[in-house]
Amino acid sequence: MLKPKWFYPSYKKDVGEWAWILHRLGGLALIFYLFLHIFVTNRLAAGPEAFNATMKALSTPVFKFLEWGLWGVILFHAFNGIRLVLVDFAGASKYQKLLFWIAFVLFLALWIPAAWKFFL
Amino acid sequence: MKRKFKIFRYNPEKDKRPYYKEYEIEIGEGWTVLDAINHIHWYVDGTLAFRRACRSEICGSCAMRINGKNRLACKTQIKTLGKGTIKIEPLPGLPIIKDMVVDLDPFFRNLEKVKPYFIKYSPLPEKEQLQTPQEREIINEAAMCILCGACTTSCPSFWANPDYLGPAALLKAYRFIFDSRDEGGKERLEIINDRNGLWRCHAIFNCTEACPKNINITYYIKKLQNLAVNNQF
Repeated sequence: MLKPKWFYPSYKKDVGEWAWILHRLGGLALIFYLFLHIFVTNRLAAGPEAFNATMKALSTPVFKFLEWGLWGVILFHAFNGIRLVLVDFAGASKYQKLLFWIAFVLFLALWIPAAWKFFL
Repeated sequence: MKRKFKIFRYNPEKDKRPYYKEYEIEIGEGWTVLDAINHIHWYVDGTLAFRRACRSEICGSCAMRINGKNRLACKTQIKTLGKGTIKIEPLPGLPIIKDMVVDLDPFFRNLEKVKPYFIKYSPLPEKEQLQTPQEREIINEAAMCILCGACTTSCPSFWANPDYLGPAALLKAYRFIFDSRDEGGKERLEIINDRNGLWRCHAIFNCTEACPKNINITYYIKKLQNLAVNNQF
């Protein structure tokens, strides 16, 4: 007998599976950001010079781009989270696809224009 | 019209690894995928192994992965699959015995855990037990399940953990827990309210997409989760 695999990337993904994958990966990214955030705030303990140096390193374009990405992850995780709460507690399973697209449009609408704020 | 089929092949006695074999056959008007693989089995390559019985969407034997998604071969019209090669694979997440024949033991073991039968402790009534149409309505859709296994084997939670009861077993639990005549609801709820039960459903909706009877399985799993939460607090 041939053993089963633990995941089948070739399985046809509908919005539900995409939402789940993005939600999970986004969750991991947010946890990673939380540790980074604690580290950066902790630089305060090393004195004003050290903190200013860290802040300067964080204002490079690379970090600005990452910050914009972080904003996107937060938005998607939040809106899809609301969708999941509705599915869990309000019996909204029948409307999950519509809810996903509403969440996705809200996410794009708040994410893409925000680039202007981050980069200019 | 000619159509190409790319079919998963694995013979444990000969092959070290599975492979895909292509067949090109002439198909008729109104053929289902089952008609096509029957044709291949009868006239082209007799070594092709797969399960089928009723060819009318009620026995659930011919569930397999067609173009990436779990479906019943007998329900899937070739016309609806668009153009291009049709890829046929066994159900994911289960050990493969040969070609499309999978070992369904893990699936039925999980089903058995939720006591998928009528439980009654009070004395049985003399006559048959009636339900009101409203009482029936609650379990109507859930009782349509044909146990083909398309849902459980489409669930990423089940792929990662075969001890997870899976959508089919949970749907069966719903069907009895919410049955007005059944008295085993409490013990069933205890069984499914477990780390390998209810709470491994992450609302991925693959089961609902795969169900050939169009049952909104996630909806019923969420109903069970709500029941478990309300019972506890």
